[in-house]
Amino acid sequence: MNINNNQLWVKVIKKVRAWARLNSIWAVHFNSGSCNGCDIEILATLTPRYDVERFGIKLEGSPRHADILIVTGPVTRQARERLLRTYEQMPEPKFVVSVGSCSVSGGVFHGCYNVGGSVDEVIPVDVFIPGCPPRPEAIIDGIIQLLTHLKDGNPRPARKEQIIERGVA
Amino acid sequence: MNTLTSFFSLLIFPAGLTLLLAGMFYDWFDRKLVARFQNRVGPRWFQPIADVIKLFAKEQITPGIKNPALFFGLPIVALSGALAAALYVPLLGFAPVHSFPGDLIVTIYLLSLLTICMGLAGWNTSSRFSLIGATRALTQVFAYEAPFLLALLGPAMAAGSWQIDVINDYARDHWFAISQPVGFIIALIGLMGKLELPPFDAPEAETEIVAGALTEYSGRGLAIFRIAKALELVVGITLVSAFYLGGLQGVVPFFVKTLAVLFLMTIFQVLLTRLRIDQTVGLWWRFGTILVLAQLLITILWKGGLL
Ligand code: SF4
Repeated sequence: MNINNNQLWVKVIKKVRAWARLNSIWAVHFNSGSCNGCDIEILATLTPRYDVERFGIKLEGSPRHADILIVTGPVTRQARERLLRTYEQMPEPKFVVSVGSCSVSGGVFHGCYNVGGSVDEVIPVDVFIPGCPPRPEAIIDGIIQLLTHLKDGNPRPARKEQIIERGVA
Repeated sequence: MNTLTSFFSLLIFPAGLTLLLAGMFYDWFDRKLVARFQNRVGPRWFQPIADVIKLFAKEQITPGIKNPALFFGLPIVALSGALAAALYVPLLGFAPVHSFPGDLIVTIYLLSLLTICMGLAGWNTSSRFSLIGATRALTQVFAYEAPFLLALLGPAMAAGSWQIDVINDYARDHWFAISQPVGFIIALIGLMGKLELPPFDAPEAETEIVAGALTEYSGRGLAIFRIAKALELVVGITLVSAFYLGGLQGVVPFFVKTLAVLFLMTIFQVLLTRLRIDQTVGLWWRFGTILVLAQLLITILWKGGLL
């Protein structure tokens, strides 16, 4: 079938799809070697005080159900394989949020013998949330920034394609 | 009934589209109530709809599975089971679309189809989490199915008919929740077991086995399973409140009574913690079945004029 992008029903379906994606975000949380500080802040984000379910954000157990992957901590040599595999298991469209200074740059663990480096050396990251650990407000703000970016019609924040190739190789 | 009206009643009203919207509404109501009980704001009213549309728009991954036909077919079978069950219950307070003597048994088995499909879906994928989830789901079926059926047979025996429509009419001036309180509670808890709500959510325990039988499902398959579950919620609640809360005649009593039942179920959900699978089975067979059998015996004696 020949689908013309300017037809009304195509536009409407695209609008509805974009609306649904923005309003229903299921996250899966992966700890790639964090000291647990960031993980506790993520839990705090889910608790009644901050309650992200009002934005439609929900923590899911299975990467197959998730839309965004929240990674905390530097990528240790052991976790690297698992992080890649978890990322590969997620269905498209998928986004990665890296939470905490460690996942952004390696943080205090930078240069450790057992640490491979930051998250964006392994998988493409869409939003970086610095802080050690970032407050729940910062985490919510990071996710909302991702959403507003998507809402403006951009496919996703700039990706470092060459980094994935280097990471997978 | 000619073909056109049957298609209309199957696809638009009262089953089909209307039921779908009702399912979404009840799903939201449940989540919102749980959130309020936990002192949260809770999801917005369109949340379940957005969830389902988003899932439909996502990629569906085909994992390493034993039988692809089964993988894609099972969600559809589950959904059609729930839709077919909706034809026999007084949805929205209207008389059932279809009715024949003995449709109670058919409805209960159609409602079990979802669990069986989930069990098969878990068995079909090679993930260990799905496998454990499937085993637990099927174990749980054996736990609650018999007490739930017996609990629904109580009003059926008193009304002297196994036809949902007739029992619904008979219940109008017999509040079985008062004359058969044990049956009411067991039907309520059995329904929670059927829907795998807490405390009976061991089959999909997030903290132990990821997402249970549906771990490997993504996108469309997961969406259809979720819809089927929402529909089953509505149909199950309709069945229980029609039997035990004085029948469902008219739209207003329907919403008042079913939402009251949902409210009760939500209270149980937030109050109780998850049971281990052996505790679930023990609870049902040691207490549930015995109690409901005792009540059934009393009903039979009363019916026979011995009491
Ligand atoms: S950013 Fe700070 S809190 Fe987070 S993992 Fe690193 S050291 Fe721990």
